[in-house]
Amino acid sequence: MRIGKRLLAAVLSLLVPGLGHLLVGRVRRGLYIALGTGVLAGLTVFTAAQRARFPEEVYGLSAQVLLRLGLMAAFVWAALWLVYGALGRAVLRADAEAAELMAQLYTPGFVALGVLFFSLAGPRLLQTVLPADGERLLYGTILLIMGVLLALLWWWAARDAWQTAADAEPGWGGFIALVLVGTLVLGTRIVGIDLPKAIREYRETERILGDIFWPWRAAFDYEATELRATALVQAPCPPDATPPPVNQPQEGQPWVVVEPTCGDLSVRDSKGKLQYGTLLHIRGGGFVPGKIVKIKWENPIGNEFTPRGLGPTEIEVGPDGTFESELYIPDVVIPSFAQGPQIHKLHAVQPGALRFTGQLSREMKLALQAMLESIMIGLMATFTGMLWAVPLSFLAARNLTFTLRTSPQGLVGGVLGLVLGGAVGLQAAGRIADALGGLDAAPVSTAIVHFVLVTGAAVLGFRWLSRGLDALTQRMPPLVTDAVRYIGFALIGAALGWPLGLGYAHGILGIAWDPRDAAAIAPTLARVGAGLGALAWLGLARRWGQQGVVPIGQWIYTITRTILNVVRSIEPLIWGLVGVIWVGLGPFAGFIALTIHTVAALGKLYSEAIESIHPGPIEAVQSTGANRLQTIMFAVLPQVLPHFTAYSLYRWDINVRMSTVIGLVGGGGIGFLLIQWIRQVQYEHAGLAVWLIALTVSTLDFVSATIRKKIV
Amino acid sequence: MLKVEHLTKVYGTGTVALQDVSFEVEDGEFLVIIGLSGSGKSTLLRSINRLIEPTEGRILWNDVDITALDEAGLRRIRREIGFVFQEFNLVERLPVLTNVLTGRLGYVPPWWSLFYYFPAQDRRRALDALEQVGLADRAHHRASELSGGQKQRVGIARALVQNPKMLLADEPVASLDPVLAHSIMGYLERLNQERGITILCSLHYLDLVQRYATRVIGLRNGRLVFEGTGDDIRHMTDEEFKQIYGEEAQRLGG
Ligand SMILES: Nc1ncnc2c1ncn2[C@@H]1O[C@H](COP(=O)(O)OP(=O)(O)OP(=O)(O)O)[C@@H](O)[C@H]1O
Ligand SMILES: [Mg+2]
Repeated sequence: MRIGKRLLAAVLSLLVPGLGHLLVGRVRRGLYIALGTGVLAGLTVFTAAQRARFPEEVYGLSAQVLLRLGLMAAFVWAALWLVYGALGRAVLRADAEAAELMAQLYTPGFVALGVLFFSLAGPRLLQTVLPADGERLLYGTILLIMGVLLALLWWWAARDAWQTAADAEPGWGGFIALVLVGTLVLGTRIVGIDLPKAIREYRETERILGDIFWPWRAAFDYEATELRATALVQAPCPPDATPPPVNQPQEGQPWVVVEPTCGDLSVRDSKGKLQYGTLLHIRGGGFVPGKIVKIKWENPIGNEFTPRGLGPTEIEVGPDGTFESELYIPDVVIPSFAQGPQIHKLHAVQPGALRFTGQLSREMKLALQAMLESIMIGLMATFTGMLWAVPLSFLAARNLTFTLRTSPQGLVGGVLGLVLGGAVGLQAAGRIADALGGLDAAPVSTAIVHFVLVTGAAVLGFRWLSRGLDALTQRMPPLVTDAVRYIGFALIGAALGWPLGLGYAHGILGIAWDPRDAAAIAPTLARVGAGLGALAWLGLARRWGQQGVVPIGQWIYTITRTILNVVRSIEPLIWGLVGVIWVGLGPFAGFIALTIHTVAALGKLYSEAIESIHPGPIEAVQSTGANRLQTIMFAVLPQVLPHFTAYSLYRWDINVRMSTVIGLVGGGGIGFLLIQWIRQVQYEHAGLAVWLIALTVSTLDFVSATIRKKIV
Repeated sequence: MLKVEHLTKVYGTGTVALQDVSFEVEDGEFLVIIGLSGSGKSTLLRSINRLIEPTEGRILWNDVDITALDEAGLRRIRREIGFVFQEFNLVERLPVLTNVLTGRLGYVPPWWSLFYYFPAQDRRRALDALEQVGLADRAHHRASELSGGQKQRVGIARALVQNPKMLLADEPVASLDPVLAHSIMGYLERLNQERGITILCSLHYLDLVQRYATRVIGLRNGRLVFEGTGDDIRHMTDEEFKQIYGEEAQRLGG
């Protein structure tokens, strides 16, 4: 190739990495290079901006930051789309493969442009795109490294364009290495990895970790066997007061004598200096020789403390069991309502051995209770989830659902029947439930009546009217059939378009607009939506009218799968938040969260089990004249039952594990206790909870794995 | 009487498996379908009870157009037509008796199946059918515990309890050894001769065709290329036979 073209390619790729490749017809390669370089450059800029915004290196993901990130991505996409779409089309008209790739780029490009457009619609949003005044970018070491790396990348892209322009096929090694190193460097910064800190601070953690790793002392109650003697002291000491009597030594039990029994408190003046009060002389006896006696002071309202800096508080007992010591009366803050002389207590305490009682501690009992609660949450959620997942999985199994079809007229009748049946069922269920006593008096029967009647009536309505209208129109002249189809489809389209229009007004325009303006335009947009929907469905009516069949099975499959996938991809913890907002703190919230996630997860697993069964028995049973229900009962269920059981057990084990965690967000069970204890810095008790969780989860893991192995 | 008129099947992949196939089968005939692998035998048999939806053409069974039936009608027709599969297609986890009972599903109210319920009369009928194929003692074993030949006998018993007027058999003996093959074909012959059940059967083995067929049709690349009586086939030399059937034709004895 001519040197001029090679040079041009290199220069173009130096300007925008990958652009030169486009010139010489290497679209795919150019695209990868542009994407890799672009992403890395974007991340670098983002990191720099973050440092400027948060000098103390607090990386919060505020809504603004997210928005800005999204806009940046949208902008990159839009730019790519413009450059590659417009330029590429002009340059590469002949290359079919490249053209196809371009077409693939159009869709996301369109979306990106849309996002950009909508975000520009509101001036408030516009502000967030532009950095505020006076913001400077801080360039640290990392940014320096990144600068070098990016420069290398740019140079690599130019060199690559130069080489590919000569029809060479250079490797990807340098590019991948540069992008990888860049990503890792940025990753260190963004994650905030700090090895010295981890090593420095580990020592302080040791004790706490010890409590958590071996918390079992906290699981039991201990009885303290201490020796204790008490003497009374009055303060202050007005002349007219009668001080408490002086104790007398007593044989056979600990005693303490304090003299005088009346005196003045020490006082701390405004500079914080201590002025000593009366000095007390203390004698004691009847204690265990050779061990320590501790002196404690108890103020009039019953608070016991160790007086500091006023005399010895730990005295060794002599061989005959006695001791002597001195102590200034402490500075006790007396509540303002207490006036006149008060009685204080001096305790001589000799801590003895702790006696193991064999009783579980209060915390251990709590933890066990909460553990049981967690296991039950998991069990109930699994069971309830199964009930819903089984029917859903039949709808989400390709091999069962795809055979469902109907004529367009049947679809019209079916939708009509669905709506009518549902409404009738709802009415009837309401009446019956009222007769039974309503939701609060008879919750279970109300729920069952509603479920059975509404779904039953809707399904029957769909079946009957679908078949009925189909059979009816077959006997009518084609004109009538067409009319039914067009009118019916237009109505369906309008009914679907109406809420879309409303949603667009409130949900999309409402973001950038004044909500009142959005609300004002909503009715108009709803009508526009209905009109567009009707138009679109008229088109469908034409198409399906020619084909004669509507693949409703495929729709049902797609819709069910999509819902299951979306619900499943939202973590149970987030469903836990939903549950807590819905029914408040407690196990019920956890149950709701896990049930929702279980339905989606099991629905998918079940439906995949159904899709993998042998089709032979299904055909065999169908060929005897069995209908759909019979085929499912005789050919599908026996084949999938072991898988269903295995998956359900597996899910139970997951659910118990999750239910221990769901408490962290308020969903009841042991997680709730755990997070409370951690917040109260009671690490030993937290350790108990952790142990119980670990024990339960590993036991269940083992049990469910064993059973599963037996079944499949 | 079964009439197949201009039957064409084009699969979604674009494969033309049957092209304008027409033939008639009188009641009580034992029709054997021959043809190379991939010539469309299975497609033809499965189109007749609409396990496969034909693309074009009609199938008339006693003057009822099977291709135009709705769900309920199809159910009524299917229960009169038994189907025996090469791979037996039993539900392996269910007991043998239940497998046979599935042959009654076209006759009982569908919602009974929610409880796996069959009336006593049907159960007796199923046991009788097992008796006839010599497997009464295996009624309460799981289907997975049977040998290949036994499974195919269960498959025949399942078709039998349908009380069929016609039996479609798609290479019923292809996965069995020669002795078993003759025993299974013997059952089919008895049904054909004693009960007058029309039989449509695709076969691979040349001597089985000669031994059992009253009439033969041959398919090649989805087209009907041969039609003749059992006698025509019996008087054919191996060479002539191979012309229709292709080099794959073989004798059971090897
Ligand atoms: N489900 C299907 N989808 C697409 N093509 C198919 C399908 N089933 C069969 N075919 C094709 O249709 C043609 C006829 O197949 P068919 O199974 O009817 O042949 P066959 O005569 O029964 O063969 P064999 O003796 O091997 O069983 C073949 O080319 C096959 O590849
Ligand atoms: Mg076949």
